[in-house]
Amino acid sequence: MVDHVLRLKLALLGSAFRPGRTLAATLAVLALAGVVGAGLVNAALSTDLDDPAHRAAAVLVPAIVSIALVVAPLAAGLGSALEPRRFAPFPVEAKPLALALALAGIIGLPGVLAVVLGVSFEIAWENDPARPVAVVAAVLSVVSIILSSQLLVALAAHLAVTTTARRTITAVSRATIAIALGAAASTLALAAQADTPTREVLAAIADGVGASPLGLLWAAPTADTGAAVARLLGGALLIGALVLLWLFVVARVLEAPQRPLPSGRDHGLGWFDLVPATPAGAIAARSLLYWTRDSRYRVVILVLPLAPVLMMIALAIAGSPLPPLWLLPLPVLALFLGWFAHNDAAYDHTALWLHVAAPLPGAADRWGRIVPPLLLGVPIILALSPLFVMWSGVEGSLPALIGVSIGLLLTGLGVSSITSALAAYPAARPGAGPFDQPPTLGAGAGWSQAFSLLAVLALMAPSLLLAYWGLTSPAWYPVAGIAGVATGLGMLLLGIVVGGRLFRRRAPELLDLVLRT
Amino acid sequence: MVLDVRGLRKSYGGAVAVDGISLTARRGSIFGFVGPNGAGKTTTLSMVSGLLRPDDGTVVIGDADVWKSPTAAKRKLGVLPDRLRLFDRLTGAQLLYYCAMLHGLDRGTARSRTDDLANALGLDGSLERPVRDYSVGMVKKISLAAALIHSPSLLVLDEPFESVDPVSTAQAVDLLRRYASAGGTVVLSSHNMDLVERVCDAVAVIVEGRILASGSLDEVRGAGTLEQRFVELAGGRVAVEGLEWLTTFSV
Repeated sequence: MVDHVLRLKLALLGSAFRPGRTLAATLAVLALAGVVGAGLVNAALSTDLDDPAHRAAAVLVPAIVSIALVVAPLAAGLGSALEPRRFAPFPVEAKPLALALALAGIIGLPGVLAVVLGVSFEIAWENDPARPVAVVAAVLSVVSIILSSQLLVALAAHLAVTTTARRTITAVSRATIAIALGAAASTLALAAQADTPTREVLAAIADGVGASPLGLLWAAPTADTGAAVARLLGGALLIGALVLLWLFVVARVLEAPQRPLPSGRDHGLGWFDLVPATPAGAIAARSLLYWTRDSRYRVVILVLPLAPVLMMIALAIAGSPLPPLWLLPLPVLALFLGWFAHNDAAYDHTALWLHVAAPLPGAADRWGRIVPPLLLGVPIILALSPLFVMWSGVEGSLPALIGVSIGLLLTGLGVSSITSALAAYPAARPGAGPFDQPPTLGAGAGWSQAFSLLAVLALMAPSLLLAYWGLTSPAWYPVAGIAGVATGLGMLLLGIVVGGRLFRRRAPELLDLVLRT
Repeated sequence: MVLDVRGLRKSYGGAVAVDGISLTARRGSIFGFVGPNGAGKTTTLSMVSGLLRPDDGTVVIGDADVWKSPTAAKRKLGVLPDRLRLFDRLTGAQLLYYCAMLHGLDRGTARSRTDDLANALGLDGSLERPVRDYSVGMVKKISLAAALIHSPSLLVLDEPFESVDPVSTAQAVDLLRRYASAGGTVVLSSHNMDLVERVCDAVAVIVEGRILASGSLDEVRGAGTLEQRFVELAGGRVAVEGLEWLTTFSV
């Protein structure tokens, strides 16, 4: 039994290396695991246990990484997981299967990384009197990580019946891993360059984690002998409980493998269930779906985070004084995001007839289309503004940065609402690559692009000027912020009303345009 | 009269596509629009359904002019255009819901009508798949469902049965007959004379942008079949000359 399951697991791992679509992903995951493993060993080798910051990191980093490792098997997707439910159709006993699956958990990246983590922990405590405690703690920890992750996979596979639930689980576990690895890396970075206050903070956090079940074993070497023994015993008890639970779950799942789908109509309509049941709501849901699925839109989402970075690099190379320039990327990003919608109707291609043939208020069409950039842009601006202001070192510029960025975004969307009805030009077909161009652009394309960009800048010029004055007398910053938001709201509403009327009136001409491309 | 078309005219550059077409459709009738390739069927139906602006002429649906009060007219109108895209990244269910929302239906009605139409047209198994994965015939069926979902009083269908299999065609025809007997009106174009003869009770033959014959089925076909009359009107069968090589086999 054990033999069979282990061979099955190896075959599954081998299949990930077959040439094909998954090979690149496999190699990427492998590279990431290699970096994590090397990082752990390297950090362990450079640990100086006399430094309280390092001592704190020696508790914190393993604790954080073990969270990532417990959820790691879920990140690959439940479809490929080797879990007890899959063995339900076969005549197998629960106990051997439980043993076999637990052993199979060591094979594979999470298992190997758990072992690496354990070994690194031992290396970190190499020259310390508490080393024997560390060795036992590491062994117990590795066993409990593997058992917990197997339990989690079995439970998740049992509970997640719908595809949506499965996808959510995969996404959440991936996010957890990303956050955990980020936290571990920043802990190491903080410990390496620690000044006294950082040291105290790290030590306090480490004490907290050490007192929680998460740090039960990892903090054992830092405790007194008596407390350390108690912790190790606690760890052993924990493993005993996990083993019992594991046996119970495997037996249970083998008996009652099928969890029935909830009765009734289960399949939802995705975004359409989340928006109001109005024409504008439906168009917003459809736009959101296209922004996330169609590569012509998706490229924007991919470029957005890159743009500020590239811009800063370019400016730095040009030799500009760096810090105040951090105020530039967000407004530029907002300008671009608002401007991007200026040819949205043409992106529908001939599917636009659905809007033309319906008794649809023009404003509903306009509102629906601007929801994705709004949902994308406003949170980005609100979340990143404080960060950029901090890096820029320009005191008091936060209201101006937020207001001007929001103003640029909203004004851009207002202008786009008009141009996409008034001055549409041929766009790449649905399903085309992100950089594909239609065969004929026509002279209108350049005018339309330039006009929408210049119109936004012209309308926002007063707010931009106020913000510029702020550089010399900061009292202007709040004024610039309010002016920006007010301009944005006004232009957005005006754009929607005017654009909606134009769309209604020019709908057949728009359809004619896309028919000819 | 549910549909009253007068003097419809459209030209592209110098070429006249539709040259002064007038026609009327009675309430509860199924009106067949037949003509050879390039005769102006799609152009006419696009102008009737408010998708293509005519150079001249009027289209009145019920009491609303399609080109003067489009919103009122479009409320009464269900359209199935030929060769236009759908939002094909949506699933079938999402697309039908979308059309229902654009016509101002509420959530519950949209969901229940989606189920009903999927049953009636044999789409139940495919509603969860993206429309881009559909075959041509399936796209026609989902388009027909989309045209029907807001229960319009006039249906304008351009080639609704092209590439649709016989079983689904029979289902769709039953659906249209039921719709017409309840007081709905259908205008459809087709190349399939047998089908038009079986389904329609009024016919118009269009050739080179003009209507050459129009009236009830019996009036138009006279003594022969609709196909004979159609070939006659469309210029008759031209004697095939100059293709002798086709009959001298080189075996």
